[in-house]
Amino acid sequence: MSDAATDTVLVTTAWVAEHLSDPGIRIVESDEDRALYAMGHVPGAVEIDWHVDLQDPVQRDYIDRAAFEKLCAAKGISNDTTVVFYGDKNNWWACYAFWVFKLYGHRDCRIMDGGRKRWELDGRPWSTERVDPAPARYTAQEQDASIRALRDEVLKHQRAGKQLLDVRSPEEYRGERMHMPDYPNEGAVRGGHIPGALNVPWPMNCNDDGTFKTVKQLEKLYVRELKMKRRSPTIAYCRIGERSSLTWFVLKYLLGFGNVRNYDGSWLEWGNCVRVPIAKGAAPGGAAGSASTAPAVHA
Amino acid sequence: MSSARDRLEAIISEFADLDGREKLELLVDFANGLPALPAEYEARKAAEDRRVHECQTPVFLWTEVEGGMARIVAEVAPEAPTVKGFVAILAEAVNGRPVAEAALLPDDLLERMGLADVLGMMRSRGLRAIMARLKRGLVERSAQPA
Repeated sequence: MSDAATDTVLVTTAWVAEHLSDPGIRIVESDEDRALYAMGHVPGAVEIDWHVDLQDPVQRDYIDRAAFEKLCAAKGISNDTTVVFYGDKNNWWACYAFWVFKLYGHRDCRIMDGGRKRWELDGRPWSTERVDPAPARYTAQEQDASIRALRDEVLKHQRAGKQLLDVRSPEEYRGERMHMPDYPNEGAVRGGHIPGALNVPWPMNCNDDGTFKTVKQLEKLYVRELKMKRRSPTIAYCRIGERSSLTWFVLKYLLGFGNVRNYDGSWLEWGNCVRVPIAKGAAPGGAAGSASTAPAVHA
Repeated sequence: MSSARDRLEAIISEFADLDGREKLELLVDFANGLPALPAEYEARKAAEDRRVHECQTPVFLWTEVEGGMARIVAEVAPEAPTVKGFVAILAEAVNGRPVAEAALLPDDLLERMGLADVLGMMRSRGLRAIMARLKRGLVERSAQPA
């Protein structure tokens, strides 16, 4: 995409290819499938894995500030480094890693539009060389609570009828798909969605080549069709927060929503909580609630 | 000819000695070695609903039993090398061996290979589910009349 508004935060594969040896830039791959990095990565890129590098091994949470500082230092990232994220799966995990970097206040984060898919389609080279950057110094900030929604905040937000987006598939939203025969449930004991949440599956943000749709197309969807308000507080969720971090990125950085948070606990938490409200069916209020297509979700 | 268990143990010890990066590289080697889907299975992909729906990336699995011998046939998209490599490892262990041996394969292989830590809890759970599905599929298949 070439919209001026996104020139800085969203970069093309061509831009990345031109900046491969720029010492002020660190390219970071974050994937659903970790073996992809071993198969071949953008030359010079380091890998940061959401599951293994960014998750605290004991408490269900992100690594703490000290561990984040240590991780950045080891990956050759200092406070003034421009960090460009990319990955597989339409950049889900790249957006998630971007979000964690913003959580700790990293200033200059970018996304390579289209991720691995676009790099491949553009016929650019993959490297299997090991990348061992010189250690850097890093000082992280305290977590930025303004981009992260915790369960009780989501409950409050839901009760107040504020903008809430469920970016999972319609089957998950309606509560039809929890898990398949022969397969263990991935963790939620209840299916459905948070009452009032609009279902805007994440693929609606993307083109077939993995890139984001244009700002104009995205504005049409969120602002004109869904009538979402840029200034109203908004929370996005999915199953574990990776797909919703893509939508969070779209709303905050491509559309300029002022107050949007990712609920990283997402359905894996909500679907297990005792006595939180759940709606089933296609309507935001649930089948038993209002069947109106214009729910009072916009505070 | 060594048993499925012996074959798998050899692969496990090969992985166990490697560092994290090398483990992933070896997994990619296995992924690259998974044979292409035989032509006769191509048409069956749609007809038999062999798609593993939990995997966002297309994964098709068959568990075949011929004369009491197990055979895993699979097609895994190249963008899922972890799943592909894991299926290739299981196929290498059980293909051509009696089904009873497949049922006895150890379930803790990811831990012993050291892959559980490299992949994290969620991915490991997904791979364990694939293994359970393949083992169950072979046992059920062997119970059916040919």
